[in-house]
Amino acid sequence: MDIAANAILKKKTNFLESIRRNIVVRRFMSNRLAVTGCALLTIIFLMAIFAPLLATQPPLEMKVTDRLKAPSAAYWFGTDEFGRDVYSRVVHGSRISISVGLSVVVISSVLGLVLGLYSAYYRHLDNLIMRVVDGLMAFPAVLLAIAIMAALGPKVENVIISISVVYIPTVARTVRSAALVVREQTYIEAIQALGGKPWRIIWRHIAPNCMSPLIVQATFIFAYAVIIEASLSFLGAGTPPPQPSWGNILSDGRTLIRQAWWIMVFPGIAIVMTVLGLNLIGDGLRDLLDPHTNKAKS
Amino acid sequence: MVKYIFKRICYLLPVLAVVAIVDFVIIHLTPGDPAAVMLGSDATDADLAKLREQLGLNLPIYVQFGRWLWGVLHGNLGWSIFMDMPVSTAIWQHLGPTVSLTILAEVIAIAVAIPLGVAAAANRGTWLDQLFMTLALLGISIPSFWIGLNFILLFAVKLGWFPAAGYQPLSSGLVNHLKYLIMPAVSLGIMQGALIARMTRSSLLEVLNENYIRTAEAKGLKYWVIIFKHALRNAFIPILTVIGLTFAVLIGGAVVTETVFNIPGIGKLVVTAVLRRDYAVIQGAILMTATAYVLINLVIDLLYALIDPRVRLSK
Amino acid sequence: MKKQPLLEVRDLKTRFSTETGLVTAVDGVCFQIYSGETVGLVGESGCGKSVTSLSILRLFGKHSGTRLEGKILFEERDLLTVPLDEIQTIRGNKISMIFQDPMTSLNPVYTVGDQIAESIVLHQKLDRKQALAKAVTMLELVGIPSPESRIHDYPHQLSGGMRQRVMIAMGLACQPKLLIADEPTTALDVTIQAQILELMQKLQCELNMGIILITHDLGVVAEVCDRVLVMYLGQIVEECPVEVLFDNPLHPYTCGLIRSIPSMATNRREELHVIAGMVPSLYHVPAGCHFAPRCPYADAQCGNPPELVTIDAEHKVRCWHPGARASGERRLA
Repeated sequence: MDIAANAILKKKTNFLESIRRNIVVRRFMSNRLAVTGCALLTIIFLMAIFAPLLATQPPLEMKVTDRLKAPSAAYWFGTDEFGRDVYSRVVHGSRISISVGLSVVVISSVLGLVLGLYSAYYRHLDNLIMRVVDGLMAFPAVLLAIAIMAALGPKVENVIISISVVYIPTVARTVRSAALVVREQTYIEAIQALGGKPWRIIWRHIAPNCMSPLIVQATFIFAYAVIIEASLSFLGAGTPPPQPSWGNILSDGRTLIRQAWWIMVFPGIAIVMTVLGLNLIGDGLRDLLDPHTNKAKS
Repeated sequence: MVKYIFKRICYLLPVLAVVAIVDFVIIHLTPGDPAAVMLGSDATDADLAKLREQLGLNLPIYVQFGRWLWGVLHGNLGWSIFMDMPVSTAIWQHLGPTVSLTILAEVIAIAVAIPLGVAAAANRGTWLDQLFMTLALLGISIPSFWIGLNFILLFAVKLGWFPAAGYQPLSSGLVNHLKYLIMPAVSLGIMQGALIARMTRSSLLEVLNENYIRTAEAKGLKYWVIIFKHALRNAFIPILTVIGLTFAVLIGGAVVTETVFNIPGIGKLVVTAVLRRDYAVIQGAILMTATAYVLINLVIDLLYALIDPRVRLSK
Repeated sequence: MKKQPLLEVRDLKTRFSTETGLVTAVDGVCFQIYSGETVGLVGESGCGKSVTSLSILRLFGKHSGTRLEGKILFEERDLLTVPLDEIQTIRGNKISMIFQDPMTSLNPVYTVGDQIAESIVLHQKLDRKQALAKAVTMLELVGIPSPESRIHDYPHQLSGGMRQRVMIAMGLACQPKLLIADEPTTALDVTIQAQILELMQKLQCELNMGIILITHDLGVVAEVCDRVLVMYLGQIVEECPVEVLFDNPLHPYTCGLIRSIPSMATNRREELHVIAGMVPSLYHVPAGCHFAPRCPYADAQCGNPPELVTIDAEHKVRCWHPGARASGERRLA
């Protein structure tokens, strides 16, 4: 019974899925803003992947004779107080932002998904998990990340851990509310009555229905993670110098703002491009997949 | 109504308990000996032993938590070794600038965002809507500290209109106070305002699809009466929710903004404490902001009751 | 009835621009309403009856991309061309509307008294206190017990039937000349439905209003209407007095509708009549007679669009073979 019911359901969802995907892709591509977002993000990703090829100088190389040079043909974005090429540092900085952002998205999505699903399925777990989630969400994201960084010490891996911890509750809550809707549906009850195993129901039937809100959420978390990484590094609690990250280049720029505006302007533009791109994609995906989500939740 | 308030307050207790536990646990994540980390490599064994004794690090962890929680409940947030004063005193000294900054930023954000959001929703699909929503999208995409840096570059360094950094308390005169605070508050308020404007628009659009809006229209009311009297009040609950939720974004942004503008607030206190590994201060300040966030959201829950009779009159 | 009609709709066309193109929801509708009569507008959901009623007051959102054509004459003015602020003085005043869903048609954050008083203040220039006093009278009129205290209630504190009475009170607050009631009883229990209909009829006598009653329920039509307009896919397919509708329906669609009403007289074992096929989507309106694909009597001629022809003074039908059922198997002829 179980297998037959599953097979029918699966076949039906796959068929609908394939139609929907096509329309989804087409409609997404017809959204000019979302396509702009994709373009922006592609530029940043290419920059991160091909950083060594794109950089004109090694990002850590200091040229004492060329300190604080304004942007020119030789140094497109100028140089900093140690004579390092700001352009090359910004290009290499994309690697930190992208890798931190991606890692945070993966870690917080996976753990948040598990917590959200099990919380929605097992009511006794729900109370416990959701109280912890509420408690964690009471901490302002940047402050919580700073506190964790203070405890763990400034390392890129710790930046990833701290920002992931911040966003696991957000994902858990989104997944839980989507999962609760599915859980209440009659076909889940039917499968339960047919003796479906809980883990199978959770992962085969409930989880796929939570993907739309999760994907939208993940896009916005990527954007926030980029901002928080930059904030932490800017404050000296993130990516440790001399490794270039957009945040710590900005921090150098702050102290030299009167002498060398270019140090602070270019990494900022890179951050805005990335975050704007992600937000455009997120908005586009939300309009497409999840039109009724409360916009506050992102 | 009384029951509603009571229920909301009861709901806070487990949240605050989790906040306290998380706050305590985070600091104890530190690998190795916190005393050694705090005192650095040139500390003597005697110094270390003394500090461990002072911090109670030799006790079992649950005893440490119990002692800490007991202290917190009695207003004792611990002792800052670097500032040589109680943490609560340090927080109190740094509270004023942060409160001024966040309130001003929030007020600016709300004052600008709600009219823009309403105008965008009321003129959906027009160039005005597109302009405002593009601005809002930029607003949520630009980190507040970078806006702050650009403000300094433009308005302080190039134009000389405002001081580049620093802080003057309200007691030095309102104009002087605002002169220092306006750039940080605007740069901090932009992201907040953008979030509120987007919520205002989408919430209002949703309400404008409701049947009772058509009823109001069928009565012969003018469009603006419908928007402001019938739609906005209903749209306000999600707007309030987003104001409450994004208060955390505001505080987080304030930490960085205070560093950018060199404002001696809680954010600066925390950042300095992080660099000096002054754990008691970090722990105390974060506990305080989380509690403030929880209380602000309590106030917002109570405001729901003012706006919506269904909340007010529910049993 | 050789007097001046209260409202005359001439060749009304309502189109929506949607993502997939222009949709014609109402396609050339003509009718007249006289004071004191009740006209039923019937048809399946999606046939354009609600859109017709909304078109009369131009109640489409500011940015909905709706296009209206034709003429709607009311007091010697064309409601489709008067400026918006002029139509706002007519809405809720001379023409008012009652909507189908009382649960969602009242604003949850204002008291019912406020909501009734609102249009009185607006159109009759009374102050708030007088308007509230009038609201109490209106609630009394629609049979709400202890109206003085009810006006301070919020919609969620009232039952569905009470809310619909409030809606009616709101609609009648300014003694309109024309009341458009869009499925006013669909969301209600049968007993309450009867009360509400009776109430509307009683008030109609007192105020000499014209009423357009939009419904898909022919039972309701039989009970309260004087004349009936049957709509199918945006067009009027039959127009006649209510007795004629049940005695001598000419359009196959009308016949189908009438035969699908369950009645006590029908043998229980006999299956209810079902009109074959489904209502086509407005995107794929058939070229000729819109009903032809579902019509048992359709032939080649039905590939051409039929006109609404006058059978006698009060009976019009849009069909190439009116009364096909009555005259037997016309298809074979």
